[in-house]
Amino acid sequence: MLSRLAVRALAPAGGLKSLAPALPVGAVQIFRPLHTSQQHLAPVPPLPETGGKVRHGIFPEEIFQFLYPKTGVTGPYMLGTGLLLYMLSKELYVVNHETIAGGVMVGIIIYIIKKYGPDVAAIADKLNEDAIAQATAVKNDMIAEHTTAIEEEKKEQWRVEGRHYLFDTKRNNVAIMLETNYRERLFTVYTEVKKRLDYHVAIQHLRRNMEQNHMINWVEQNVRQSITAQQEKESIAKCILDLKALSKSAQATV
Amino acid sequence: MTLSFFDQFAIPNLLGIPLIIPALFFSPTIWFSTNRLIQNRYSTIQSSLIINATKQMMLPISIAGHKWASTFMALLLMLTLLNTLGLLPYTFTPTTQLSMNMALAIPTWLMTVLIGLRNQPTASLGHLLPEGTPTLLIPMLVMIETASLLIRPIALGVRLTANLTAGHLLIQLTSTAVLALMNSMTLTASITLILLILLTCLEMAVALIQAYVFVLLLTLYLQENI
Repeated sequence: MLSRLAVRALAPAGGLKSLAPALPVGAVQIFRPLHTSQQHLAPVPPLPETGGKVRHGIFPEEIFQFLYPKTGVTGPYMLGTGLLLYMLSKELYVVNHETIAGGVMVGIIIYIIKKYGPDVAAIADKLNEDAIAQATAVKNDMIAEHTTAIEEEKKEQWRVEGRHYLFDTKRNNVAIMLETNYRERLFTVYTEVKKRLDYHVAIQHLRRNMEQNHMINWVEQNVRQSITAQQEKESIAKCILDLKALSKSAQATV
Repeated sequence: MTLSFFDQFAIPNLLGIPLIIPALFFSPTIWFSTNRLIQNRYSTIQSSLIINATKQMMLPISIAGHKWASTFMALLLMLTLLNTLGLLPYTFTPTTQLSMNMALAIPTWLMTVLIGLRNQPTASLGHLLPEGTPTLLIPMLVMIETASLLIRPIALGVRLTANLTAGHLLIQLTSTAVLALMNSMTLTASITLILLILLTCLEMAVALIQAYVFVLLLTLYLQENI
């Protein structure tokens, strides 16, 4: 197992370096050496941006580059023409009905490719771009979501700092309620006691009034009983004398 | 090497070994599969084509029939490739062989019929009598519908064979006419050449359409029976 890990650790240095293109960008193939390291599934090496360069639709550019040093620019064309004429003249290739049918077919194919090729390429590019845009949109949405989550979390942390205000207010509230309740009960006690005392005071007053009235009545009664007839006549005669005297003085003033 | 008109329909031989199997299996090698999200243009177009074709062909079928999707799409792909690649000169088209088309048509048709008879025998036998037929015509109509049912595989196979064989033969004949008339009656040859161009366009269309029709009919037979 350790040897496996060691080889895997060494592999990126060996494998991917040899994957770097020795040919310039736009080369047709990436030459991957066979069986130099254990197979890696990831990271997947990137695809080349464009396909292989071709001239006239089917002939790879490499042939022209290969022949250029020895035969110059016209070399490959001369080779092609020579081969074609050789095959025709020696009747290695016989011209028959298939030639014409094939010629027409190839001509139609070339026409279609020239006419609709760029549009199809644009469609393919658009499909790829849509796929990339969708993936990027998902990524951006996740990033935005997480940023919002971070801000929300910071806000919550700030809120936690202000918690003591809440607790103080609640504590004050409870104290006020307790105080109010205590005062109310105190007042109740006071009123109850006052009621009891008022009751006793009222009873005392009542007793006193009744005693007083009783005594007055008793005195009056006794006094009336003690007034004899003799005393009554004398008092009445005195009253008449007084009145006469008064009337004389009154006449005198008039 | 003189080429007769029917040499194109002979199975190619190499040193006495018939090359029918490579002929069948080399055509799909131009169809690539990859597991990347972003592919090159060729693979993108081919993926989008097969996805759209699958959606378009399999939507009318009920959910139970969707497990046939890969079979039908593989069939469609193979027939399309075989037909279109056979239009190139000097190529052998396997679908011009009646044996091959019957080998494709009979088992698939039989599968649909047997699935219908196994899962819903009443309904699939009920297809033998269209709705709303007058009572007097019922016996005759049942026989006619049975004949129509039994001739379906033959029709499927022969339709594909006949279309492609006829198309190829017509191309060969017209191009022979062009070749023969080129030196003596050049104007007629050029008119025939125009005819050949139109015919070639038709044959390209027929190649695609025949493959599509084959699979479409199979989906219809499946939809009846699933």
